Amino acid sequence: MIKGPVFRRAALAAVAVSAVAIIAIADVPVNLTSGLKTGKPELKSAGALAFGPDGVLFVGDSLGGSVTAIDTNDRTAPKGAASINVDGLDVKIAAMVGAPADQIVVNDMKVNPLSKNVYLSVSRGKGPDAQPLIVKVDTAGAVSNVSLDNVKFSQVSLVDAPASNPGARQDPRTTTITDMSYVEGNLLVAGMSNEEWSSALRSIPVPFKSAGLGATLQIWHDSHGRYETQSPVRTFVPYTIAGRQYVLAAYTCTPLVKIPVDDLKAGAKVKGQTIADLGAGNQPLDMVPYKKDGKDYILVANTAFGLLKVDANHLETYATIDSPTKNPGTAGMPFEKITSATNVKQLSQLDGSNAVVLTATSGPGPAYAPGPPVGPMSLKTIALP
Amino acid sequence: MNQAVRNAGAVVAAMLLAGVAAMAQSPVIELQGGAFRVSGWKAPQSEPSGGWGTVFLVYAGTGKVPALLGSYAVEAGTLVFHPRFPVMAGVHYHAVFREPSGLMIARDFDGPSRATNPVARVEQIYPSADVLPSNLLRLYVVFSDPMSRGEAAGHIHVEDDRGNILPDELLPGQELWDPTFRRLTMTFDPGRIKRGLTSNRTIGPPIVEGRHYRLVVDRDWRDARGVPMVQGFARNFTGGPPERTPPDPAQWRVTVPAQGTTNALAVDFPAPMNYSLLLKMIQVARGQAITAGAVALDRHETEWRFTPDTPWKAGDYRLAIDTRLEDLAGNHIGEAFDIDIFEKVSKSIERKSVTIPFAIR
Repeated sequence: MIKGPVFRRAALAAVAVSAVAIIAIADVPVNLTSGLKTGKPELKSAGALAFGPDGVLFVGDSLGGSVTAIDTNDRTAPKGAASINVDGLDVKIAAMVGAPADQIVVNDMKVNPLSKNVYLSVSRGKGPDAQPLIVKVDTAGAVSNVSLDNVKFSQVSLVDAPASNPGARQDPRTTTITDMSYVEGNLLVAGMSNEEWSSALRSIPVPFKSAGLGATLQIWHDSHGRYETQSPVRTFVPYTIAGRQYVLAAYTCTPLVKIPVDDLKAGAKVKGQTIADLGAGNQPLDMVPYKKDGKDYILVANTAFGLLKVDANHLETYATIDSPTKNPGTAGMPFEKITSATNVKQLSQLDGSNAVVLTATSGPGPAYAPGPPVGPMSLKTIALP
Repeated sequence: MNQAVRNAGAVVAAMLLAGVAAMAQSPVIELQGGAFRVSGWKAPQSEPSGGWGTVFLVYAGTGKVPALLGSYAVEAGTLVFHPRFPVMAGVHYHAVFREPSGLMIARDFDGPSRATNPVARVEQIYPSADVLPSNLLRLYVVFSDPMSRGEAAGHIHVEDDRGNILPDELLPGQELWDPTFRRLTMTFDPGRIKRGLTSNRTIGPPIVEGRHYRLVVDRDWRDARGVPMVQGFARNFTGGPPERTPPDPAQWRVTVPAQGTTNALAVDFPAPMNYSLLLKMIQVARGQAITAGAVALDRHETEWRFTPDTPWKAGDYRLAIDTRLEDLAGNHIGEAFDIDIFEKVSKSIERKSVTIPFAIR
């Protein structure tokens, strides 16, 4: 029996996102390690990493759909200036966990800002049963596994309540967490879904509450012309411009967009302002803001363009880039290519004048979007240029 | 006292400490049930002051590398090392036992052999149609078995009609897998799709209307065990016009089954929809209850079919459609993939659904 189309549209108010501002500016510093429980957090994967205050490490678990805050209990500052240089890192990790070196994938790297020890999220294996690891490289270059058997931790799920088909097989949807950053009492989590394109930035109050995932935001940016797009953020850093707190976000092909943190409210559609374009055919990997000789810069690691030193002075004065630029289209903030380190796959700030990089051979595929890096892998300390 | 005598004295002292029973046989290192054991040596009950690592270590690499992670136990008088992670194919193990007497024995082991039998193949690539819009945003590659990550960039290509690989079509580096690693989501370069972006203006869209292409997955793509596939996969397609209009449920055709049957309810769309979202973003509801049943897609993702678990009852039902449902170009219900900024952008996220009522008679 075929019926003619009889349609009526109705918005379901019950599922509308409530518009409650949750970005709280904490007047009193919160000790992030209080309120954590002791035990063994369950991780299905270990991806994006971020450090909060007090040596708390946030671990993004894309396969498990969660973020875990772990007290590293690693808060002792090094004696003197730290410098970390380790060759054959993949071979050392592989030996420690009993795997062929080609089965070790380094997913992210961050320096603990207190101890200056380097933390890496690693997969042992490449299939769905790969084991997640957190590996620490101390300032003497010693490689060790961070045991999660008995730690203080807190975990928050990013998985929405199942939308449909009760009783259906395992939901194939995953959110790959592309980057995380702790900003003023909140953990900002950028993700990319394997299903719907329109992806959101989450802002999760820290310490994690049992209820609620925090605010969901959509970041739009106008880019080269009259069409606005909503893209997944690849990497971002908190940044203060003229006394105001911003998030500086980098996207594929490669606009830099500034977003005022005040605008990041639950359920908001936020418009970012494109203030630089590093060019097409490239993806940003990591950003490190720093000061040198009284001037502000951002060191950006990229897939195709390598390291770029971006002039970040007077960001408040840049107008939105709104006209098409020529390929390799570049506009806005000036930048220069840094050749002192090549094959940089991970970048993290060590101190005011140094950064740690993980160097490795690019994986197979085009230079702008290669597969995961392959060995030999090294950690190097480089002076911020 | 010369050196040899001193050493002999130390050995005797160590033997006495370790227990005379240990002299009955020489220690042997064995790999049993995933654990390394020192047989033929009666382990003392208490751990040596420097830890068991001063007596027994296992290495899984050569050169200056850390010892294998694991824990020690004394089981029925035998010292056992349990690796933190399971013994793995392709790994060579070097176990070293140093008796308190100073005598050192070592033994090498290999993990289980690596699998070599190919089992995996590509079951389907969605969208499955022969003509695809020039602003196609995503592909879903469905494999028969769990695969390894890190392979996509080297093993999935778009070729032109002369067999030349087009290098800048896809963004393979960020591999988006489902939890079973059987379904990979591949994104075409969005910079070439979004109107007004540099890549779109200078290089053009990844797919050109009227041109012929071939999507190729190499046999060398390794499964989760590291073994290449049984065979590769290829499919020809032709570029179609861009899809710029958001999907509109008012244009959908609903075919309603009769009461008392479990015949499928069918919804036909004017154009193909996103495979993965179509499987989950339409629900059938009756009153406050969601109707349980199975969803199938047909006619190259232009038809959604729902078979209820129990027979249809007479009365009013509705389809509830999540407005995040996308077409092939990332347009979702009520909103295009790239928005003209001269149009007003709403200030808040409106996660909602639209409904299509229907009646079973």
